[in-house]
Formats: sequence, structure tokens, C-alpha cells
Amino acid sequence: MSPRPGFVLEVDRSTPATLIWHGEGFRLERLPVGSRVVYPPEALSPLEDPDAAIRHALLHPLGDSEPLPALLRPGMRLTIAFDDISLPLPPMRSPDVRQRVIEAVLDMAATAGVDDVVLVAALALHRRMTEDELRHIVGDRVYDAFAPHGLLTQHDAEDPDGMLHLGLTDAGEDVEINRRAATSDLVVYVNIDLVPMDGGHKSVATGLASYRSLRHHHNVRTMQHSRSFMDQHRSELHSSNWRMGRHIAASGVKVFQIETTLNNDTFPDQFRFLQRREWEWSVRDRAGFLAVSKSLERTPERLARSIFQSIRAPHAVTSVQAGEVEAVHTRAAEHLHTQQSVEVAGQTDVLTMGLPYLCPYNVNSVMNPVLVMCLGLGYLFNMYRGKPLVRPGGALIMSHPTPWAFDPVHHPSYIDFFEQVLPETTDPLEIEAKYEEAFATDPWYVHLYRTGHAYHGVHPFYMWYWGAHALQHLGAVIVVGGDRRAVRRLGFKPASGLGDALEMAEDVVGADPSITHLHAPPLLMANVS
Amino acid sequence: MKALVFERSLPRYAAARVVSSLGSGRGVSVAPLRLTDLDPPTLPGPGWRRVRPRLAGICGSDLTTLDGRSSRYFEPIVSMPFVPGHEVVGDIDDDGGGRVVIEPVLGCLARGVEPPCPACAVGDTGGCERVAFGHIKAGLQTGYCADTGGGWSDGLVAHASQLHPVPDGLSDEAAVMVEPAACAVHAALAAGVTEGSNVVVLGAGTLGLCTIAALRQLALPGTLVAGAKHPAQRRLASALGADLVVDPPEVPRAVRRLTRSLAAGAQLTGGADVVLDCVGSADSIEDAMSIVRPRGRVMLVGMPGTARLDLTPLWHREISLTGAYAYGRETAGGNGRPGAPRTFELAFELVVQAGLERLVSARYPLDRFHEAVEHAGAAGRRGATKVVFDLRDQPRWRTAETAR
Amino acid sequence: MRLVRRPSFPWAAPTWPDGVELAPLERSVGVDYDTAWSRRYGVRVARAALLDWVARPVVRALASPRVDGLDRIEHLDGPAIFAANHASHVDLPLVLSILPPRFRHRTLVGAGADYFFDTRWKGALWSFAIAAIPIERQRVNRRSAEEAGHLLSQGWSMVIFPEGGRTPDGWARPFHPGSAAYLATRSGLPVVPIYLGGTRRILARGSRTLRPGSTRVCVGRPLWPHEHENARRLSTSLEAAVAALADETATDWWSARRRSAAGRTPGLGGPPVGAWRRSWALGDDRPERHRRGSNGKGSRDRWPLAHRGR
Repeated sequence: MSPRPGFVLEVDRSTPATLIWHGEGFRLERLPVGSRVVYPPEALSPLEDPDAAIRHALLHPLGDSEPLPALLRPGMRLTIAFDDISLPLPPMRSPDVRQRVIEAVLDMAATAGVDDVVLVAALALHRRMTEDELRHIVGDRVYDAFAPHGLLTQHDAEDPDGMLHLGLTDAGEDVEINRRAATSDLVVYVNIDLVPMDGGHKSVATGLASYRSLRHHHNVRTMQHSRSFMDQHRSELHSSNWRMGRHIAASGVKVFQIETTLNNDTFPDQFRFLQRREWEWSVRDRAGFLAVSKSLERTPERLARSIFQSIRAPHAVTSVQAGEVEAVHTRAAEHLHTQQSVEVAGQTDVLTMGLPYLCPYNVNSVMNPVLVMCLGLGYLFNMYRGKPLVRPGGALIMSHPTPWAFDPVHHPSYIDFFEQVLPETTDPLEIEAKYEEAFATDPWYVHLYRTGHAYHGVHPFYMWYWGAHALQHLGAVIVVGGDRRAVRRLGFKPASGLGDALEMAEDVVGADPSITHLHAPPLLMANVS
Repeated sequence: MKALVFERSLPRYAAARVVSSLGSGRGVSVAPLRLTDLDPPTLPGPGWRRVRPRLAGICGSDLTTLDGRSSRYFEPIVSMPFVPGHEVVGDIDDDGGGRVVIEPVLGCLARGVEPPCPACAVGDTGGCERVAFGHIKAGLQTGYCADTGGGWSDGLVAHASQLHPVPDGLSDEAAVMVEPAACAVHAALAAGVTEGSNVVVLGAGTLGLCTIAALRQLALPGTLVAGAKHPAQRRLASALGADLVVDPPEVPRAVRRLTRSLAAGAQLTGGADVVLDCVGSADSIEDAMSIVRPRGRVMLVGMPGTARLDLTPLWHREISLTGAYAYGRETAGGNGRPGAPRTFELAFELVVQAGLERLVSARYPLDRFHEAVEHAGAAGRRGATKVVFDLRDQPRWRTAETAR
Repeated sequence: MRLVRRPSFPWAAPTWPDGVELAPLERSVGVDYDTAWSRRYGVRVARAALLDWVARPVVRALASPRVDGLDRIEHLDGPAIFAANHASHVDLPLVLSILPPRFRHRTLVGAGADYFFDTRWKGALWSFAIAAIPIERQRVNRRSAEEAGHLLSQGWSMVIFPEGGRTPDGWARPFHPGSAAYLATRSGLPVVPIYLGGTRRILARGSRTLRPGSTRVCVGRPLWPHEHENARRLSTSLEAAVAALADETATDWWSARRRSAAGRTPGLGGPPVGAWRRSWALGDDRPERHRRGSNGKGSRDRWPLAHRGR
């Protein structure tokens, strides 16, 4: 049976309870009759032979680009940049598609006799990855061939010798990227597009950039003027990245872009009920749900966290495209939309969503309250084209335990942001004006970013900015089942249950509101008419 | 006259120590403190006056004594049995009028030591060198001396040099805060806070809050960070002038970020210029040393007691570890110069300016002293700051002399 | 007051939202039951153990079969389709237990999908116990026939009762050309006719008690489907072959051969007369021990005896 498209269910009296994510867990909850539930499309069927598809893409590039072998010659400097651990979510089963692509590229480079090859993990201001994480992404063959010689590097935006300023764009934005990439004869960027925000010029212009460059588009104004940043054509974030990308190309940096898309097959077989519609649950699905949710009740938090963090998604490759950045991204975005788009008629007064245990920035660690805000108000809220799912002044209800817990290794600046900035103000503009500079240049954060596995000092600010559009748009944000103190600190309202939350929402949006539940993950992009 | 008397009783003292491990103030149920009828203290000599307490505060050092945890250091400089209470506002009885605050330190003048020691000679009684000598029994302060009585009673005697008249506009509650405020003023001025420096106050009990207020009013700290455990304390700390108020575990991170220093393990490589520890536990002293900059100053404002400490950072970072006990005369940056204002005069001003009256959160009659002490021991948790005995309703007592 | 609350989702199955179009029922019972698991090695070993150590001793004790004609299939190596008349649930274990080992452990049973596979539990039980595969009794189901043909080509043999069910009255019903004969013509494999006598006395259709007795099994010569053989014609010859075997069991081989050559073999279906006479002609169905002291005629169990007029 071919995969079914996503659809909108109207809850009636026969509708079984709806699965709602809640951090490291989930529960079944009856939504009021008349609510809508937006279900993601089912997983597209994968490419039968991804390796052949990769080769084909490299040999038949899109747009104004020669086939990869024609771009490779002995004596050249070749840099292969690739996306970091924030993609895909959850991390995919081995072999990772990046490994397949990198190996194919290296095969061609070897054939062409290219000696000077360096691999760069395009971290931007994300944390450096551990050896295990890198091995998972590039595979053991590549790791063992490059890492011992120091040729497998991780981008360091704070390395004064490692960055190169390429001048200003027409709009006066600094363009500063990784020196190795900027001075290479060819940059091959290996992408995974998980959400429509990824890919395109954002790959190089963000992934290999510095704070000095990023602040031109990672800021409150950009975010508040992106409707949404998941829709390239209505996103200031992307306009700026596109300007920078074109400036980079004009500066003589040749980029050969490879973008891959994955299907929606997000959870392994034992968790398959998470991606099935409740009324289609078989005995096995119900038994699976009961077994998992009952045992989670008795599992210590830390253990549950490590169990969930060990999930590897059975994601399969649905498309590979290579060549000139813009042509490639256009095609990749089409594939992504085929997989994720759902038509939704009209906005809603109250949007509910269950937040899972994972967002791009807490792979192998804790989802702290700032990330909860970012996942709900940044990512899921913005997964729309046209209009937001919820009307202006509407209410957003998120379900997540929101523990007052931080990973001191990955998120040191988040702790200070949460403890010292949020009690003062939660207004993104004020936060940006008053604190961003100090955090971004704090030598301790810089040290931890460069030598440890810490996100950059300014990263929590970006998380907050990511939600700026939602904060501006929404009338109320209610968190169900969260740590009350932490939720208040975020400036949101805590509620003990969904029922209470809906009552509270009525105070904001009026009696008898329309309710829509976002049944994600697996991810979906709502086309709201 | 009614008085709470603290007696020498080793078994009960030891029992109090055990019981107080359940929580500060709990030791009072077994401590050698009892409410009795006493003969009022006799006037030790000329210049001494009778004072009838109106309000008498329960201080952290009183709690330490009642919990059986006070240092053996005090043994030779107190005399038992004594009536505790050194934060006292009262009426001068003999004249039948005039409210006074007692400056409890018993210096050379009060002890009748002639000539006075060099410190007392310039009015810096806090530095007195004769605390256990003279014509009254040993006792560093009123409230630790067997001859003078103390505030937890309806009568005591005080030397004229100890008395500070209370202006008419000032309430009893404000006046009873003058003594702790004086300690804070002394600490704030002695801490060597230069303009624009980063100062941290650990602990937000009475002394911590008064210190925050004193620093804000009398020094010019750049940023004043306060570590406060309880919500009410945090609110008061902000109100009294702290720039950044955080939970105690968050203090090192706040200081690190504020001073843009790095960290090597739990030790900041830089840190605050001055840390005032108003808690006085081994942990708080170690915390203070880990967040003060090299060659910075850690001042112990709360009474510390016996503590086991790793002093390596003190040596390596050349930290000054100093104490701040009590008062006398002050000049900003130095003590004891003649002509400088008396600490108590500054304290009166501070109490008014900072509105420290609001720190008095509960009043108890003497006969409910169990509850009072337990309340004081759990003050932070119960949202209180200063707990006082209210003696204004006690029937008037007659002195032995008048009875005769 | 209700002591036990009715379980709700997810303890019970979910209900389907009214607003969602019903998906075509995904059938996993009846002919759609997937029996692949029952042919895995481990399951086969377990089944062989069940057959050899439980079923065969029980059959021997219960039915004391006398088996003739096994020599007729001695030369047969490859898979075959065994087709027998069907009177009792005892038939199947009987056939399986007398088959030579090379067939016994690699034989599937075509079982009525409506009866043996109507629930998952029954499907699992029968596909495990007797390696049953679901077939439709009354019509040719192309898919299940294809599946069966595929399995035959993989070396599995099959037992089929071409009547499509147990006899209601003791007389065989006409053989269904869509079953054994159809499979044989499709797969080009031989059909082995088998006659089973006496099983109805042990456990008749509708009966609930087992009555131990003696039975006869007669294996016939394999019938090979000729090229372009018509399933209907093959089915007719199969039925005739079984009838001849029945005749042989009741009389002797030579008489049966002669009657067969003359086309006078009595049909399996019994005389075309009224119901009571058909039963009468069948003789006494009761187990032998109940007949002790009767007229002592011995096994008067098939109507050909009456015709023989001894």
C-alpha cells in the first residue's frame, strides 16, 4: 500500500484517546469532541539503492554545475563539510547517509588523485562532537582514514586563525567563514534536510560561520520578521543567508552542494505505535504502548533518558541531489514537502502539542527548559506555511515535564541564561540588548566551546530568539505537567493536566475555543489556508 | 523579675547539641535555659543605670549557644549563669523615661578598667583588650555576663557609655534593629569595598540583609550579588539593594559570569573582590574562598565557630580572611581614629534609610520562649527574619531597694 | 453495581473515528492467514515430535489401522498430493501416521479456511499441529491455490480431502474438482488416492465421544496428470480410484479389479435412493464391541456387500 498523506482528523465520540508526547514518555488523552488532530504523512518508500542514487546525483548534478569528477583534479584543495549531530532526529541507524555520501565523494576524489582533502564538521556554534558521535556520522572507514592525521576537523568559530572574513554583503552583513573552506578550490557540503529550514545557502553561510557573521540573521528582528523561518520564501533568516551564500560564491568559493532527504520513519519497530494512528493500533501496538508506558512509570528518570537517547531511527533516504546550491535546495525542498506537508483548513484558537524527549540540541543529553521553549515555540510552532496553526492572540499548550535540569557539559551557558537572565526578563528584545554581547564574548564559554563539548555562550539566546515570533504571536503559553518553578521562569503558565490547561486557555481566547492538536513527531509541515 | 537564664549544665548542653541536629533552634527544648524569677541585678557601680527592656532580639549567636554549638573559645570570656539578649531597646528605669538602645560590648569604661586599653581609649570598644577583667564578671557583651543581666528579661543594668537614646520618631522595632545594623555597618566599612568592585554577600538572614543594606548605603560596590535561600529573603535582598539575587548553589555561576572569569574545577580563576560570609559555616567559608579573586578579601560577618577548612586556596591566592565582630568608631576604610563617627550613630541612620524595621517579623512574650527560639531557628524557611521578645506588657518589677 | 469495569483503550481495541473512512479490513484470518511461520525449522521439529510421539501412538491405540498398498507409492520420491475420502476427524491423523517418513514430516494439510482458520488462535493451533494451510472448500481461490502450488513446488506434499468436508451420512460426497485434481494439474504432481474405512465408527460427524475400533487404510497407485489434463476429468478418475480401493477393501483385489474393468465398481456416493435406505445400506455404524452378540455377520459396513449377495 502506498504511504498515505497526512490528514486532519476531527475528534468525535468514537475517536479513541490521542497519543500525546511528554518528554521521555507519552500518554493517551481524550481531546474534546470537535478538536482537530493533524497527523503527519506516512513514511515515503525509500530509494531502493541509495548508493546508486548518490553516484547518480554526483554524476548528474543540478543547476549550473559540472559533474563532481570533472571538478576534481590532482593538486587541488578539497574540503568536505558535513552536518553535525543535530541532524537527523533521532540519529539514524548506521550507516548514516552522510557516511554513504562522503564515501562516494572520497571515492571520486581518490580516482581523480586529490591529495589535500580535509573533512570539517559544520558545527557553527554547536558543541563539538565526541569520537563516537563522529564515527557514527562519517563511519569507521572514513574516521580511521582521516582522524589520526588531523584531517577530520570540527569547525571552530572562535579560532582566530581558523576564520576568514570575506567582506560585507550588499546589506552590510559580515561574512566570515571557516578559513580552510574559504581557501579551498572546492567545498563539498554534505547535507541532511530534516526540516525545510535546513540546506541551501544556510549550510555554508551558517554551518561554517562565526558569531560575528551569525548575529546578522540569528537575532530577534530576523525571527520576528520570518513567517516562518521554516518557509524559505517568507523567512528573513533565509534572505540573509542567501545574500551571504551568494557573496561567498562571488568571493570565489566554489561550493558543490549535496542535499539528502529522509522519510518519516522515525521510530524503530518496538516503538512503531508512536507513528501509527490510534484507531489503527493492533493488539501488538496496544501491548507495546502499555508495556512501554507502564514500565516508564517505574523507570528512574536518568535511565529513561538514556533509553530514549539510545533510539536510532530507521530513517531511509528518499532523495539525493547534488550540484549548484540553489537548484539542489529547490529540489530537496520539494521532496521534503512531499514527505511532511499536510493541508490544514484555517487557524485554531488553541494549539496543543506534546513535546518529545529530543530536540536538535540535546542529542545525548537533557532537554533543559530553554530547549523546551525552543522546541515548542521555535520548531513546532514554526512548522507551517501560510499562516501559523494558531490564530494571533491564541493559546499554545505544550506537554513536557520541563525539568529544572541542565547538562553542565553541553549547556553551561544555558544554566546562567536560565538562572540570571530569565528572572530579569523574558522579552527577547531586552534580552538581546542587555545580555547577548556579554554571553557571546565570555571567555569561559568560549573556552568550553573550543575545548569541551559545550554549545557556544550565545546559543541559549538563539534558542530564545527562535521562539520570538511565537512569543509575539501568542496570547498565552501553557505547559502541562512541567516543573512549576521552571515553567514560571520561562514566563509560561504551568498546568497540572490538559483539562486544566484548556480551562486556562479559555480565559485568554474566550469560551468554547477551537482546538487543534499537532500529532508530531514524526514531523509535519502544516499548509494552513 | 522574670528572666530567661542560661546556666552551666554539661548534660543539658550536650543534649541540646544532639537535639539541635534536627534543626537550628530545636535545642531549646533541652538546653539549660529556664524561665525563672530572679532578683534584679544590682548596680555594679557609679555610672550604671537600670534598663527595662522593651524588645530584645534573638541573634544567631544566641541560637548557637542554645543549640550547644558555641565555641569553647567563649568559656573564659563569659560568666554563668547569664541572661541572654544583647539586641535590646528599653526604658531607662531610674529616670522613669527615655528609650535607649544598648551597645552591648562591655569595654574598659564599663568594666571600670583604669586606664582603658588603647582601643577603648579611642572609643573602639569592639577591639577591647580587657573583656574578662575589671570589676564586673567576665563577659564580652551584655547578655553574656552574669553581673549585668540581659535583654531576655524585664530588667538589666547597663553602663551609661553603653546607652544610645532613641529618637522619638523611631519605633521600638526599628530601634531593636540598630544593634545588628551596627554589626553590618562595621562589616561593610571594614571590608575595604572600593568603588565599582564586585561584592558578594552569602546568606540573607538578619545579618546578611543588614549587610546588603549597609553596603548599598555606605559603600559603592559595582555589582552586589546576594546568595539567598528562601523566597522571602530573596525579595528582601533585592529590596535592600542587591543587584543580583540567586540561590546559594547558583552563586558561583553568577559570580563567574559577572566577573567573566574562567573556572578550574569548582574554583573560579578570577572572582569577586570581596565576599562577605554572613552564614559562618565551613561550607560557606570554602564557597567564599572559591569565588573570591586572587588577593581578594573574605570577611566573616556571621559567627563561624569551629570549622574544618582547606586553606590551600587561601595560601595560593593570597586571600585575606578577616572577621567583623562589632563596633566602636568608624571611618570608611579604617577603624578607631578619634573623632570618627560611632558605629551606632551610623547604624541609626541606616535603620531609618533602609527601613530595616521591616525585618522584625515576629514577637513573642518571654514565657513562650520555646516557640520563639524555634521560630528564630527556622526563620528563613518560615519566611521570617528577626524574631524578638516583646516585654512591653510585662508587669513592672520593683527593685530590691524599693521593696525595702 | 459492576464489579469489573469494561476495559477501555488501550486495554481494549480502539474504535474508529466516525470522520475517517474505514480502511479495507486487513484480513489476517481465513484464507488470508499467514502460515509461513509454521514451516520454519524449529516449528517443524516440534510438529514432528508431536506427530511421532503423540499422534501415532494414539492413532494406533484408537484406530488399530490395517494398512494396504503402501508398496504402490514406494517408488514415489518427490512431493505428492494425497487425496482420501473423509468421514471423521480421525482421518487426518490416520493418514499422516501411516505415511512413510519421507512424506510424513513434509506434508501440509489443506484445511477449510472457514472452519480451521476463522480465528487467529485456531489458525495458529492448526497450522502448528498439522501444518494446515487454509483453502476454501467450495470454490477455487486463485491466491490460495497459487500459494499451495508454490509450496508443492518447494517439495511439500499435501493431504486433501476432495469432498470438501466430512460426510454427513456415511456416504461420500462428490469429489470437488477444484481441490486435489486442480492442484495436481497445475503443479504436474501425482495424486495418490487413499481409501479410509471404519473411521466414522470411531468418531462420526456430530459425535462427541471417541469409540476405539479398527480401521482400514488402502493406498492406491499414484495418478499422474497428463499434459493438458482437465481437472474435472482427473477428479472423476480420482473418485473412481478411491471407489475401487473401497471395493478392494471390502472384497478382494481381484474382484475389485474386475468390477472396475467392467465399470461396475460401486460408487462412493451410495445408492441413489431415499435417505433411510442409504443409511440402511450402510449397515451398523456402532463400534464393534457394542455389536457383540448380534447376527455375527462381521463387517457389514459397506453396501457393496449387499450387492454381492453372498
